[in-house]
Amino acid sequence: MLLEVSGITAAYGSVQVIENVSLSVGEGAAVGILGANGAGKTTTLRAISGTVRVPSGTITFKGQDIRGKRPEEVAALGISHVPEGRGTLPNLTVEENLRVGAYLRKDRSGIETDIAFILELFPNLKRRFTSNGSALSGGEQQMMAIGRAFLAKPTLLVLDEPSLGLAPSTAKDVYAAISRLRLETGIAMLVVEQNANLAFSVVDTAVVLETGRSVLSGSTAELRGNDEIRRAYLGG
Amino acid sequence: MNSFGTFVQLVVDGLAQGSIYAALALAIVLVHQATGLINFAQGGMAVLGSYIGMTVGNLVVPVNLILGVLVGVIVAVAASFAIGAFIERFVMRRFQGGEEDTKVVATIGLLTLITGAIGMIWGFNFIPYPFFFNTSTSFTVAGIAISLWSLTTFLTIVALMAVLQLLFTKTKMGLGLRAVADNPGSSALSGIRVGRMLMVGWGLAAALGTIAGILLAAKAQLNPGNFDAILVYALAAVIIGGLSSPIGAVVAALGIAVLENLAGTFLPWIGHDLKIAVPFVLLFVILLLRPQGLFGRKSVVRV
Amino acid sequence: MNGLRNLVDRPWARWALGAVIAIILLVLPLSATEFTNQTITRIAVFAVAVLGLNIVMGYTGQVSLGHIFFVGVGAYCAIIPIRALWGGSIAEGAIVIGFALAIIIPGIVGLIVALAAVRLRGLALAMITIALPIIGVPIAKRFSDITGGNEGVSVRRLDYVASDGQTYKGNPFSAPAWSGLADDQWQYYLVMIIAAALFGLAFFLVRGKYGRAFAIVKANESVAASMGISPYRYKVLAFTIASMYGGAAGFLYIVALQYTSSETLSFGHSIELVIATIVGGAGSIVGSILGGAVYVLVPQITNAISPESTTVVQGIVILLVLFLLPGGLASLPRVLARRFRRARGGHNVDSSNSTEPAIENTENTKH
Ligand SMILES: Nc1ncnc2c1ncn2[C@@H]1O[C@H](COP(=O)(O)OP(=O)(O)OP(=O)(O)O)[C@@H](O)[C@H]1O
Ligand SMILES: [Mg+2]
Repeated sequence: MLLEVSGITAAYGSVQVIENVSLSVGEGAAVGILGANGAGKTTTLRAISGTVRVPSGTITFKGQDIRGKRPEEVAALGISHVPEGRGTLPNLTVEENLRVGAYLRKDRSGIETDIAFILELFPNLKRRFTSNGSALSGGEQQMMAIGRAFLAKPTLLVLDEPSLGLAPSTAKDVYAAISRLRLETGIAMLVVEQNANLAFSVVDTAVVLETGRSVLSGSTAELRGNDEIRRAYLGG
Repeated sequence: MNSFGTFVQLVVDGLAQGSIYAALALAIVLVHQATGLINFAQGGMAVLGSYIGMTVGNLVVPVNLILGVLVGVIVAVAASFAIGAFIERFVMRRFQGGEEDTKVVATIGLLTLITGAIGMIWGFNFIPYPFFFNTSTSFTVAGIAISLWSLTTFLTIVALMAVLQLLFTKTKMGLGLRAVADNPGSSALSGIRVGRMLMVGWGLAAALGTIAGILLAAKAQLNPGNFDAILVYALAAVIIGGLSSPIGAVVAALGIAVLENLAGTFLPWIGHDLKIAVPFVLLFVILLLRPQGLFGRKSVVRV
Repeated sequence: MNGLRNLVDRPWARWALGAVIAIILLVLPLSATEFTNQTITRIAVFAVAVLGLNIVMGYTGQVSLGHIFFVGVGAYCAIIPIRALWGGSIAEGAIVIGFALAIIIPGIVGLIVALAAVRLRGLALAMITIALPIIGVPIAKRFSDITGGNEGVSVRRLDYVASDGQTYKGNPFSAPAWSGLADDQWQYYLVMIIAAALFGLAFFLVRGKYGRAFAIVKANESVAASMGISPYRYKVLAFTIASMYGGAAGFLYIVALQYTSSETLSFGHSIELVIATIVGGAGSIVGSILGGAVYVLVPQITNAISPESTTVVQGIVILLVLFLLPGGLASLPRVLARRFRRARGGHNVDSSNSTEPAIENTENTKH
């Protein structure tokens, strides 16, 4: 397993919001996280990337214990987290936002190739290449955030609701791009998504969270067959 | 001398004095952008750096003046960088995310501590600062006397600003500094070591301030209170020019200095002693008439 | 020991403690040395100054770094008319005029400063007010014919014409014969009575309607605005009241010292006053009194030990207090009580025993 999360808890200050979450992501696999608002999906991702305190449980990445590591250390190990709200750097240009993504890389020519790839993947970004991050639309910011995360050349890409606040058609485009990214590069992915239909277009398996616990996991086919899941997350 | 000659000379001297204000203003903006706080100890740190430069420089000056001054400057810059980084890491980091007034008072405490330490170590008397040339030297161009110190100061600060600009826009370090200033949490997700960047930001600001401190001391000698008034000018420049605009702060600093120089000479009732009131009277009038500030960027000055 | 903790919480215990202290303060000067009386008098003077600063900084959350300016202006506004008028046709009335001017003029100046400066939020207000003493000193020196410049103005030996038609040297603040008090005792009581009245007024101010408005403005300006409380208006009000308190402290300064100079409103003292306010305890009446004590006693003590170290010690003290006791000395009993309770194994709700310094708000830092 590339990433193995087992039995973690997480807390903001003294308020514990995750009680017991376990999940795993294999090499090159794509895993979804489903759950109602406030179930703890974002917090789970934050626990993995080291931006929230994880008092107990284990998180191993490439066989290494990463629980309690700081966000910059986790990033350096090869996990790229696109946070909820996209983490745009508003006063930096699109180009600079992308280059921040490649901050830890030394292979100059590789960076240029990857930037070109992202611009080809998201033609909108090409047009706004020299605009400030704050001047972008929500969809464009999401594309930029994904591009920035990809530029880190991660082994695992962690995406928090890439469709948040986007028009359905834009959300579809973004997911099409994510699929392509996966297909062409083989990066492993962990994707939080409200809209399971969208998520299922990318992931092979998914975990369901309820009030801070992982309660169910299975392949997308199995989950599609589950009545409760269908009702709650697939709209019927 | 005709009054036009006086005018030009005052402008040149004003630009030199103003570049000292500008350097401190820039240091303040640098820290504010990185950490969202106003460092009221910035001037004190500059003075501390200058004392270190003088002390070390004086060890070498007997052998060779130029070499001694140079060694002093280099040591001062390096030491202030380290002191700035240290203060960020071990003092101000504690107050990150805390209340605004706590942070202000913390930097006030630092200012007090630094001023006191300087006084304890070096005393409160004015001490001459050894410099490359005699700072009262001046040369005449088209009948107008231009002070060599003024020219050197102005050019040095302009050059430093250019270097900083390059650092921020053309280097990886600069990209990291700006990213952290923009959104530290998100920058960390890209592997940027936020804490280290904050230390570098403070270090750079301190080093910049120290160069201004040395230039000032070369002319006006060294004293623990050297930057008390200059801090006030720099703050005025920062308010007028905008907390988030380095260029605005620099322009405002130069403008303030030229204006007060002209006012001090051409309006006799102001004179040398009340020059310092000029930028503030101006600032008050601006604030009363144009609450959004001189450049009308509401968001900068207000919420 | 639990009893002690309960005592701290009981209102009647606090009133009783207050009453005991009041009685001690009332009786003390009759037996204490002149030096002690003068020291306590000066503490009361600066407690009023700190109280003013607390109204704007502690209660309303607006950092003012130039509060000493208003103390200095108040001192001049008190001493200049007293010097000009005392012993003339209006006799003691000069002191009343001095008192009134010492409150009114700083109030007006404060209002004007506030109208402009308060438009800027917290930091910028601090940035502007730091200029007040730096501008104030050269202005005071410029008008040295009335302010005395560096030498200052004194009313310790004023000429006056007594009822016998003779001219004598006199001090407007020496004890009148009917009181049977020594000068230091007379000044002590005069300062104490006025300071107590000012503290009483402030107590009702911060506990009343205005105090609640100040607190809301401090907590969140947008919330205040949405509740119909204009942050601008209340910040101006707080600043103006603070300036009047500063001016009143200036008057008391004259009662205590009968002398002032441009040194009174210097930059260094302004910083010391801010430090004293925080060390005493921001947003606290008791903290203001402790702040006055800090302002007067810390330099007095360090001067006695090693005068060169005064400033360093102040810097260290303020940083230590910010690190260890953010509520200032006034919060010490509460903090100790809490420590004590925790040590006894009461309910331990402290869960901060993790080692990871996580940055928690990833997405919404700034902007
Ligand atoms: N920064 C925070 N501080 C305190 N509590 C928080 C914080 N962020 C989230 N919470 C709380 O933690 C719980 C889980 O939140 P989380 O953001 O992980 O949910 P989520 O599953 O991502 O929901 P959504 O689908 O709405 O994004 C919620 O009850 C939320 O109120
Ligand atoms: Mg979420």
